[in-house]
Amino acid sequence: MLGFSITDPSNSLEWMIFLAKKYSGMFLEGTWLTLYIAVAGTILGFLLGYIIGIIQDIRINEGDSILKKGIFKILKAICRIYVEVFRDTPMIVQAMVLYYGIRQANVNITPLFAGVMVTVLNTGAYMAETVRAGIGSIDMGQREGAWAMGMSPMKTMIYVVLPQAFKNIIPEMANTFLTNLKMTSVLNVIAVQELFMAAKTVGGNYYKYFESYLVIAVIYFVLCFVFNRLFTFLEKKMKKTENYALAVEYMENP
Amino acid sequence: MGDAIISVEELSKAFGQHEVLRKIDFNVEPGEIICIVGSSGSGKSTLLRCINKLETQTSGKIRYHGKEIGAVQKEINDYRSKVGMVFQSFNLFNNMTVLQNCMLCTRKVLHLSKEEAFDRAITHLKQVGMAPFINANPTQLSGGQKQRVAIARSLCMNPEVLLFDEPTSALDPEMVGEVLNVMKELATTGLTMIIVTHEMAFARDVSTRTIFMDQGYIVEDAPPAELFKNPKNARTREFLSRYLAG
Repeated sequence: MLGFSITDPSNSLEWMIFLAKKYSGMFLEGTWLTLYIAVAGTILGFLLGYIIGIIQDIRINEGDSILKKGIFKILKAICRIYVEVFRDTPMIVQAMVLYYGIRQANVNITPLFAGVMVTVLNTGAYMAETVRAGIGSIDMGQREGAWAMGMSPMKTMIYVVLPQAFKNIIPEMANTFLTNLKMTSVLNVIAVQELFMAAKTVGGNYYKYFESYLVIAVIYFVLCFVFNRLFTFLEKKMKKTENYALAVEYMENP
Repeated sequence: MGDAIISVEELSKAFGQHEVLRKIDFNVEPGEIICIVGSSGSGKSTLLRCINKLETQTSGKIRYHGKEIGAVQKEINDYRSKVGMVFQSFNLFNNMTVLQNCMLCTRKVLHLSKEEAFDRAITHLKQVGMAPFINANPTQLSGGQKQRVAIARSLCMNPEVLLFDEPTSALDPEMVGEVLNVMKELATTGLTMIIVTHEMAFARDVSTRTIFMDQGYIVEDAPPAELFKNPKNARTREFLSRYLAG
């Protein structure tokens, strides 16, 4: 009954297999786009989040010039507003507003580009907060140790604080990626041909929505499951503290 | 007093309404080993942190070779690279090995070549007896070992003055000795040091000058022989009798 040539599907399982086979190209393309948007959007979003998180952490020094102080104040204000706006509105609305807004301004923008952009901006806002918390989780003494030897606050951030903060927020970064993988589904509203859109189209062809969406539910699940295992594995690997080798050449009594 | 390395002039510091330092005045001459003693909350650590600019004073000045250190970050960085600091909680960089800890600032602040920075790190790690541990992470070391690495790390910068903020207060009694011994050896090299400490015997034996602080004031500032034998101030006497009796 589960043969490879179901031509006359009679139950839901058979319908699922039938649809998955018949529209495999569409589902594959949808999977590919979903992955593409999630990966590109997450990575660029992380970068944005780190930049914003670092800017928000900058302390304005009273010894700085007025120009420098002014620039930092404006930058920080922009960052605060951006983070607030994007965390306080749904991604699906952001997608609509950005896509149609940009189109209305007579800039020709593809749905895919808009989709990646929305994902980046959305991820950036959440990551900024995560990075800020990550930086805050690092003991002040770590910075003071570097400052006390003449390291500038920026160098201290790059060489001492961020590497440690990064390690602490890896689980949250993995979380954000998984959320993004699923949130790409809302981008169907601006006609991005991702998985959800594929299921919608396929389901419409045969009026078999339940089966069609069940196909992509399985695909989403498998994707997330695989990535989840991957992240857990990486995390475990990074946590492993290795034994160090004594540098015997420097022992006083060998 | 023209050749003082650091001069502290009328330094005051308040956290809100709470005055921690009140018009502190003192100079640090080359080669001096100054121990600052006093009960907890007397402002010793805050004074040291002000000298390293980790705290900004409410009023007063810090001069380095006669030049006032203001609020410009670049100036502060240059100044700090010559005035090292060793902390109570070690503050070793947890994301780096012992060797990397000792090479980071010489590479990034003094811009030494890799070879030079490595040689310096090894020299000073040998000095504190920690060279065999270059590949260890700070979390794998005992408190005393961490503090010795922290001292070596500061020495790599070739500082003119080294500040110690209660370097042995976070250590098990057994480990206090190893750190104090390293500091005693340093004292013989002629390095200028300011040490905030609760180790009275160490202050008495090693310092060239002992300062007793109470409630934000410098109460007494004298050579240790004088301060420990004939404290002039009643408050100093009271403090010392409690410590030296025990």
